[in-house]
Amino acid sequence: MLRALRQPMRAALKRRGYATASTPFVPPASLQSVDQLPPRRRIPEKTKPESPTFYTGRSDFYDQVTQLEVAIAHTRRALTTLELLPLPAFARASLPPAQSVWRSRDDMSGLFARTLTTSRYRRILVLLQELEEYARIAHTAGHDELGEGVSSVLEVFERKDKAAVLARGKRKPVQFDRFGRSYTVGRRKESTAQVWMIPVQQPKATPKPSVAPTMGAYSLEPVLEDPLAPAPSSRPAGTITTTTILVNNRPLNEYFPSPADRERIVRPLKLAGALGAFNVFVIVRGGGTTGQSGAVAHGIAKGVVAHVPEVEVILRKAKVTRRDPRMVERKKTGQPKARKRYTWVKR
Amino acid sequence: MSALLASGAHMGHSTSLLNPNFIPYAYGSRAGITIIDLEHTIPLLRRAAALVRDVVARDGTILFVGTRGDLRPVVRKAAERVGGQGYHVGEKWLPGTLTNRVQFFGPDVTRAERVVPDLVIFLNPIPNMHAIRECAIEHVPTIGIVDSNVDPRVVMYPIPANDEGTRTAELIAGVLSVAGREGLALKEEQAQNRARSRERMARRRSLHGS
Repeated sequence: MLRALRQPMRAALKRRGYATASTPFVPPASLQSVDQLPPRRRIPEKTKPESPTFYTGRSDFYDQVTQLEVAIAHTRRALTTLELLPLPAFARASLPPAQSVWRSRDDMSGLFARTLTTSRYRRILVLLQELEEYARIAHTAGHDELGEGVSSVLEVFERKDKAAVLARGKRKPVQFDRFGRSYTVGRRKESTAQVWMIPVQQPKATPKPSVAPTMGAYSLEPVLEDPLAPAPSSRPAGTITTTTILVNNRPLNEYFPSPADRERIVRPLKLAGALGAFNVFVIVRGGGTTGQSGAVAHGIAKGVVAHVPEVEVILRKAKVTRRDPRMVERKKTGQPKARKRYTWVKR
Repeated sequence: MSALLASGAHMGHSTSLLNPNFIPYAYGSRAGITIIDLEHTIPLLRRAAALVRDVVARDGTILFVGTRGDLRPVVRKAAERVGGQGYHVGEKWLPGTLTNRVQFFGPDVTRAERVVPDLVIFLNPIPNMHAIRECAIEHVPTIGIVDSNVDPRVVMYPIPANDEGTRTAELIAGVLSVAGREGLALKEEQAQNRARSRERMARRRSLHGS
């Protein structure tokens, strides 16, 4: 029994990793065939880091900051050469206001590998605002290529719906359909009027009759053939345009029997000098006569402005473009009407 | 010498803040300020420039560190001049960038790229003592602009000069980066020489063979 135990011990003692005085070191049999060794791996050569801002830890952010700073430096040098910088105070005040809509912090983080912190985002905004100012200066001074170059750099950082954001709060421009009709809505008190306006087709002007024979040499011949005949004018006679105003599919005088209402409706056209210029079709609902006529007038005024933008100032001064905000005031408790009070009793 | 004087490189810090180990590089004091001896600065600057040139010629990476606001464009331009082997840190040096690099850059990048630079140049060593210590731990040689309140032994190759002014830093960084550019040219030349000699050997071998 002990012999069985002794055999493994003897075998273990025999397998030495070192030589002694009497016995040489014999390597174990497995290493005698060297082919079985795994091939020595060739350590691949290491490459250099690509970005020069690698050691900052945030190379994507600092690379972008570097690019913006370089763009600022180049633009500043170009503007200084063009003598646009430094700008005097009066010139700076005359610059158009900044209309920039930058991406939000989360949106801009999409341009970088990691989410932007607020301080880093603000830092980028400061650089963008400076660049934007230089672009404005270049555009205002007439150097459009320089301005376009800078704007192309800034475009990456602007919101995609920039135009929509800037147009908020402004009146939407009136669209014309394929026939050239404008569609506007007018309101007054509780009435709403949908107004379609189309300009009347002007008939082709007949060629002007010759006024006088060519004056070659100076002669005492009379210029006019018949001095008492009416002078020929450029406007061809007999082509005064008549237009139709239809309200709820009825002619104007039938729907609004009162001359005051009709006058109110036609006033915008008279102010614009466009009485015979447009055919008008209106659908009006709600309210009473005054409200409906006011709503139609409002709609017509907006339509005229859409067709002829030059008269916008005239109509605005005459306050027909304005939606009249006066509405029926509510009745209050403890009173018979909005303003009327019950008879005051001393005791 | 005149350029260094013009940029105010000789102005040290207050005499009361003088570091005793800096005394060999000091000329004296005037108006309560230590004046740095530029006769010592110039050979040390030359030595540092030669070091930069040789490191770049042997395909080494140079890192410029300048963590003040006015030093940011300086280190950027200096790194640009050294081309693909120049790097810069213009913001705060994150402690652990070299000693904790596996955490910072990830194990793949650490295995595949040479994350530890071959030479680091400090334009303002005092706020970057963490970086200097890390370079010492990772056995990276350092060059630094040492002022009179700093022990010049913190960096391997000190350049005694004023660390407060922008112009001095621009001048010194310019000199070192131009040396780096020369190193790049040397490397190109050496590569061309090697290619030419290889061609010659190949031609000789083919001649002998035939």
